Amino acid sequence: MLALSGITVRFGDRQVLSGVDVTVAEGELLAVLGANGSGKSTLLRAAAGLVQVHGGGVTVDGRPRGPLDVALVFQQIHLVRRRSVLDNVCSGALGRLPLRSSLVPALFPRVVREEAMACLDRVGLADRAHDRAGSLSGGQQQRVAVARALCQRSRIVLADEPVSALDPSAAEQVLALLAELAHDERLAVLAVLHQPDLARRHADRIVGLADGRVVLDGAPATLGTGAVDALYPASSVPELEAVS
Amino acid sequence: MSTPTVTGGVRRLPVPARPAHPRRRVVGGIVTAVVVAAHVVAWTSTEVSFGALVEGWEGMADFLSEAIPPDLSWEVLGPSLDGALVTLWIGLLGTTLSVPLSLVLALLAARGTAPSGWVYQGARSLLSFLRAVPDVVFALIFVTAVGLGPFPGVLAIVCHNVGVMGKLWAEALEDADPGPPQALRSAGAGRIQVAAHALLPTVTPQFVGLLLYRFDVNVRSSLVLGLVGAGGIGFLINQSIQLFQFDEMLTHILVVLVLIVAVDQLSALVRRRLAPTT
Repeated sequence: MLALSGITVRFGDRQVLSGVDVTVAEGELLAVLGANGSGKSTLLRAAAGLVQVHGGGVTVDGRPRGPLDVALVFQQIHLVRRRSVLDNVCSGALGRLPLRSSLVPALFPRVVREEAMACLDRVGLADRAHDRAGSLSGGQQQRVAVARALCQRSRIVLADEPVSALDPSAAEQVLALLAELAHDERLAVLAVLHQPDLARRHADRIVGLADGRVVLDGAPATLGTGAVDALYPASSVPELEAVS
Repeated sequence: MSTPTVTGGVRRLPVPARPAHPRRRVVGGIVTAVVVAAHVVAWTSTEVSFGALVEGWEGMADFLSEAIPPDLSWEVLGPSLDGALVTLWIGLLGTTLSVPLSLVLALLAARGTAPSGWVYQGARSLLSFLRAVPDVVFALIFVTAVGLGPFPGVLAIVCHNVGVMGKLWAEALEDADPGPPQALRSAGAGRIQVAAHALLPTVTPQFVGLLLYRFDVNVRSSLVLGLVGAGGIGFLINQSIQLFQFDEMLTHILVVLVLIVAVDQLSALVRRRLAPTT
């Protein structure tokens, strides 16, 4: 569904990505792993159109990617903490609403509110619709952010280290949710992760990056532990295990 | 590095000498000299003279003996309270009526919400101009235009306050967390939608805090506007000074004191309540 082909990105003289090919199929959760500086966040930002690409291209179902084709989930969550949970989810629909029905939350049409409620229900937080987003725990907030992405109606979700700011059990929940959405709603989900074991447990496929190139691509079961560990410089492995 | 010594079971290490910074010392000396010179020039230019102050003590004493006790009769206190209320209303309306224009200019004068560099520069310049012209000058202009009374006071406060509040709000917008706007932009939201759904809700507490602070300041400056004929209790103070009724003047000043303290307390209370709870 989402295809990145021959993506090359340079920051000044430094080549961050060198001809990276990655595809994400419908109904698949793809985890991208790699050490800091391996280019995995840049890959996601290239897929989202947030960085300038110096070579290659991003297509969705064979067409060039449009502005509303992908929904993003961020490491820092980026909800408006003072607004209600429901208003935050509704704001995912802003791209398809005219200004006269979206200038303030009170103007959101009822169909949009009801769709947002269904998205909230999908992430298991329908009962918190009228609470302030800031009053929820980190894990709940990230699930609201996922609901906001669903409300955008994109078939593709890009998640940039979605669980790095969460405690282990919340991280587990959010990744299980992303996998479930990929399988049940037939979404294509690409998640950049820092935790190899989480990726092994939840992802359908793992892509490993090192120095801006794909060095690993396959289902978790087919990849040996050594192959994944080799992505990280030796000294950083114990530290990563302690975190995850 | 010397080895630690142990006295009474406590380890101690001598503090090494601070490295010398000759350049820093020279710069410090120059800065001190400039600041001192500026004060000497200021002293002579403003004709500060303790002699004149001491010689004038009799005038001061006369003034005070006439002012004390204040004239608290109802004929003075009644109009004084009325005047204080008018001053309060000038400050209130002047603040509220400046909100729409402040908001528009703040959005145009904040990086991130300004549609283009030209608009940004234009809005910034307009705000600077409105800020640079003192409200008393605006009051004098409007008094000649619409006549004496509280109305020119309201107009003057609006003009000056748009300049100050627009600038303060623009700064608050620029300091806001860029995350939520980025999230909505990536979801396809337009510029106005991003401002309405990500920026403004995030900065609401700061905006309201600044608004209350400006209300507080505007009530006080509407007092000064009265001195140039723009209504309110300032007008009464000016009148009683010109008629040498210093006891009446003191009454007005005491009423002003109560008004200012009340407004200050109120705005502090509301701001405390609004402080972010999360």
